[in-house]
Amino acid sequence: MSADPLQVLASAGKGKNTRGLLRVIILALIVAAATASRLFSVIRFESIIHEFDPWFNFRATKYLVANGFYNFWDWFDDRTWHPLGRVTGGTLYPGLMVTSGVIYHALRALTIPVDIRNVCVLLAPGFSGLTAIAAYLLTNEMTPSPSAGLLAALFMGIAPGYISRSVAGSYDNEAIAIFLLVFTFYLWIKALKQGSMLWGALCALFYGYMVASWGGYAFITCLLPLHSFVLVCMGRYSTRLYVSYTTWYALGTLASMQIPFVGFLPVKTSEHMPALGIFGFLQLLAFLDYVRSAIPSRQFQTFLWIFAGAAFGLGLLGLVVATSAGFVAPWSGRFYSLFDTGYAKIHIPIIASVSEHQPTAWPAFFFDLNMLIWLFPVGVYLCFQQLADEHVFIVVYALFGSYFAGVMVRLMLTLTPVVCVAAAIAVSALLDTYLSTKSPDPEENQAVEGAEGKKGAKSGLKATNKPMVGVYATWGKGVVVSALAVYLLLFVLHCTWVTSNAYSSPSVVLASRLPDGSQHIIDDYREAYQWLRQNTREDAKIMSWWDYGYQIGGMADRPTLVDNNTWNNTHIATVGKAMSSSEEVSYPIMRQHEVDYVLVVFGGLLGYSGDDINKFLWMVRIAEGIWPDEVSERAFFTPRGEYRVDGEATETMKNSLMYKMSYYNYNNLFPAGQAVDRMRGARLPDVGPTLSTLEEAFTSENWIIRIYKVKDLDNLGRDHSSAAAFERGNKKKKVTKKRGPRVLRLD
Amino acid sequence: MKTSAVFSAFLSLLSLGSAASSEVKSSSTSTTLPATFKPPQVFKNANLVHVISVEKNYVKENINVLVENIEKAAQHEYFVPFMADQMARLGGVEVKDRKDSTAGPFVAEAVEFDQESDIQYLRIRFPKPLAPGASQTLGITYYLLKAYKPLPASIKQEEQQYLSFSFSAYCPSAYTTSKQKTEVKFPTSTIPDYTKLPGSGDAKEFPLKQGSKLTYGPFDEKPAGATQPVSVRFEFNKPVTHVSRLERDVEVSHWGGNVAFEERYTLHHRGANLSALFNRVKWQQSQYYQPTTFALKELKFPLRVGSADAYYTDVIGNVSTSRFRSNKREALLEIKPRYPVFGGWKYPFTIGWNSDAKTFLRKTAAGGFVLNVPFLEGPRQQEGVEYEQVQIRVILPEGAENVQYHTTIPTQSITEGDVEIHRTFLDTLGRTALVIKARNLVDDFRDRELTVTYDYPLMAILRKPLVVFGSAMAVFVGAWLVGNLDLKIATRK
Repeated sequence: MSADPLQVLASAGKGKNTRGLLRVIILALIVAAATASRLFSVIRFESIIHEFDPWFNFRATKYLVANGFYNFWDWFDDRTWHPLGRVTGGTLYPGLMVTSGVIYHALRALTIPVDIRNVCVLLAPGFSGLTAIAAYLLTNEMTPSPSAGLLAALFMGIAPGYISRSVAGSYDNEAIAIFLLVFTFYLWIKALKQGSMLWGALCALFYGYMVASWGGYAFITCLLPLHSFVLVCMGRYSTRLYVSYTTWYALGTLASMQIPFVGFLPVKTSEHMPALGIFGFLQLLAFLDYVRSAIPSRQFQTFLWIFAGAAFGLGLLGLVVATSAGFVAPWSGRFYSLFDTGYAKIHIPIIASVSEHQPTAWPAFFFDLNMLIWLFPVGVYLCFQQLADEHVFIVVYALFGSYFAGVMVRLMLTLTPVVCVAAAIAVSALLDTYLSTKSPDPEENQAVEGAEGKKGAKSGLKATNKPMVGVYATWGKGVVVSALAVYLLLFVLHCTWVTSNAYSSPSVVLASRLPDGSQHIIDDYREAYQWLRQNTREDAKIMSWWDYGYQIGGMADRPTLVDNNTWNNTHIATVGKAMSSSEEVSYPIMRQHEVDYVLVVFGGLLGYSGDDINKFLWMVRIAEGIWPDEVSERAFFTPRGEYRVDGEATETMKNSLMYKMSYYNYNNLFPAGQAVDRMRGARLPDVGPTLSTLEEAFTSENWIIRIYKVKDLDNLGRDHSSAAAFERGNKKKKVTKKRGPRVLRLD
Repeated sequence: MKTSAVFSAFLSLLSLGSAASSEVKSSSTSTTLPATFKPPQVFKNANLVHVISVEKNYVKENINVLVENIEKAAQHEYFVPFMADQMARLGGVEVKDRKDSTAGPFVAEAVEFDQESDIQYLRIRFPKPLAPGASQTLGITYYLLKAYKPLPASIKQEEQQYLSFSFSAYCPSAYTTSKQKTEVKFPTSTIPDYTKLPGSGDAKEFPLKQGSKLTYGPFDEKPAGATQPVSVRFEFNKPVTHVSRLERDVEVSHWGGNVAFEERYTLHHRGANLSALFNRVKWQQSQYYQPTTFALKELKFPLRVGSADAYYTDVIGNVSTSRFRSNKREALLEIKPRYPVFGGWKYPFTIGWNSDAKTFLRKTAAGGFVLNVPFLEGPRQQEGVEYEQVQIRVILPEGAENVQYHTTIPTQSITEGDVEIHRTFLDTLGRTALVIKARNLVDDFRDRELTVTYDYPLMAILRKPLVVFGSAMAVFVGAWLVGNLDLKIATRK
């Protein structure tokens, strides 16, 4: 084995034991680095749950911890999706919550009563340490080089592609799922290599855990059969493959069916069919294998053809019948969007409206993986050179993962592990070659060549005379190694920079700088949520766009109409319709849904880009999908096709509830005629919009959150617009025109 | 029923007979008397001055009365009547001899007799009986919480807040009062409405108004129980801050040399509600043009010098709008609620800080420890703060024993004092926690002290490190034993 500096150090010591100790220490340091680099947001802000989905997970975890596992399992949440409610226990992946619940109770049992919030916040960094170890194990299965595993662990620990979903506070399913993904793959390779039922069962166990944790388990469900299929096609069918696959499939499927949310999906939906198909296919192969050993080969040929044709025909027929009869669900829309990136935009706007479902822009690969992305093909190439079963896995995973990462930003996450493994293989191969202090001796070489030359002479071809390949020049080694070292250092710098600047913002809290350079925290979200929580009725229903549903549920603790669990498109479209229609149309909708308050996010004062006016077109599109006659996206664009909010905005835009709520009273903040929307750089009309069915209830300090109260029915039985006009008219009469009374008399 | 009546009669007898002997620091401050109880007419109030201060958002009343024993026997109990609803809001009763400040402790406690009765009594026990014909000047001070009603009940955001307060122009007394007057002190001289009474003597009409003070009286002799309801309405353009519950934890760590404080407030604004909902534009403008408002914008906590690591959070996390200044002269924590708190709004929050144990903790010659901390350290606001329920929890180290406490807070306000067990980080037995519950306190008491004495033996001090060390060793030994087990299934060779 060649030597990297560690081994040079190690060989100075006692050999194997010292190396083992060093490896453990290095691995521990990597784990520490992986955990520590994810703590930017805790240090800079506080121990807080980030973004949107984690707020639901946090709320569910609190429920689990407070009410116990069985109540959690049967939890019907009447505070979301009002008036429908949500069977939460049956519609979530409980793995994450149960994991933190177990950690929480274990710590309590050890008399360390940590707050459940801190368990949740620090779960992702903790598990990323485990992911680094899993990457180490997986890589060690791929290459005999002991340094590759450590490099893979390091890459996995700090690659931004993974950090993006696992910083402290990012309490989402991915936090534990990536560890489970990598570890399941490691167990799979282990099972496959040894043909071991034990490892296969362990693989199934972790697969079950993965299914309980993340919808992305389908990635494993498809990748393992694909790997097996490729192996079979390469003529590498073996009993090892048979044992490990059947063990995994049988136990894993049973395990996955224990999750209520998954239930019978593994035998009913098309996404799971490849796994089932390969399972059957392997049975056939095993059977054929047996038959081949039992009957002569000529008869076997005939038998094979008939058998294969019949099996294929029957299988296909069965699938078609099952699909058309409805036993097997056809591919879901989300799945189609993986193959046609334009599909979602046309058919399911709600999926397309999520930014993380957009196709990946190419700079994202460099941003998230930096130098790993160009080392990745090298690693895959090196796998091709050896191409044992496990290397085939890397190759298959690399192809599969790259494709999906290109389709959806979010799936960059599943690509990252294989990139780290492949890049580590490449870097360690380079280092192993160039870090050897011993140069091959040309003289000695000559002698060897001479000895070989005699044998070679017999074959007569000069090309077969292999010259000794090796690195002779010390300066060459120096250049390569130092270049690599610089790259590695730059990689660390890049990762730290990306983590610190791009992925460590809680997004609930915004940070800005005061003129003197000190940090100023813009905390409008929590200001408004806390106001809602303290000063509204316990069961006051809040209507907002679905993005804020989980946050309102988690922070304001109030029932919402729609939230980030976008299972009911119609209900979301209803909210979209209420937001994009005029007050006369919206008011009945809000009354029917018992809405008490409406919450909008407005970034005009601060120049905050994630506000509702910028998301507004998605609301329109989703509403239009259900009510094409009543809502029309075209009507929100000016005749010249511009999306404007200033005086030139279309009438539909100006009359829409969202526009009115965003800009209501806003112009009073400025001197007359100078109201400016800083986000869109638009000068607003002098006269602001008027609201008759809603009244402003609360606006946060920087106007990011605006809350409106839905008025009750008018006491005198008038409709709201005339009641409001009357109120306004009263004031106006004294100062301006006398047209008011005349109109009344005419009426 | 019968036994309880007998029991209560017996108790009352006992208390009548041997009042001086019982110097209990009991947790309950009320005594049961028969339902038909009426204070015996043994005193006469020769002269009485009733000072009602409505300057802050609670009412402070001060009754200075010259009492005369008109009975033949020496007397040692004086009764003060209150309305039943006042009794629940009454706190911080302190009685002094106006002439002689050294005269021993006057014990004031609520008398329990008939739950249904409108009139309830507070009994004041003299340190030594008052001889027949002798007289004594009592200074009775007490506080009434939740005393005001905003009038109008809802106003606009930029309007001035007015509060109304009703009381009796004749000081409620269980005895005949020969001469009395009632003074009311206001925060400002803007008192748009007050009840006018026909005058007597040289005054044509009561009250007399002098700046921010109204004076009803002097009145001539009034019989026991005479009342004359009057009400006043005055400008109070400040928040009516009401803390419905304050939980204060004081955690002592001998190993860390640290005393950690944490206070959890449930804060309400009892002032006028908003007639129109909150308008941010007006609020932002008023911040420039007219900064005084009845909304609560800021709270200032002057902490003990040397306090450090202050934090300010609420149920959804850290609140960034706070400032903590700590230097040699002061440690001032200034916090702003997330939103301006208007009438009818609520804002619960938590603050906490650390202090060096040396400041508060002292070892006695006998080997015990004395902890001396402020009973209350709430905000110091110009308009005052009232606390309805207060729970102080002094968490002593694990194994502390012989816990005793003493406080200068009026005993009438203390409702309970218990020693409990509090389990937290790495505890085996749980820490000794002294829990004191008090009610109806105001920020006037924020400098009163709480002294806790306890013993903390050496073995208890060493317990935690030994337990941690022992369990870590147990884990290592266990791991080593398990590692040495041979679990392999032997393969046949």
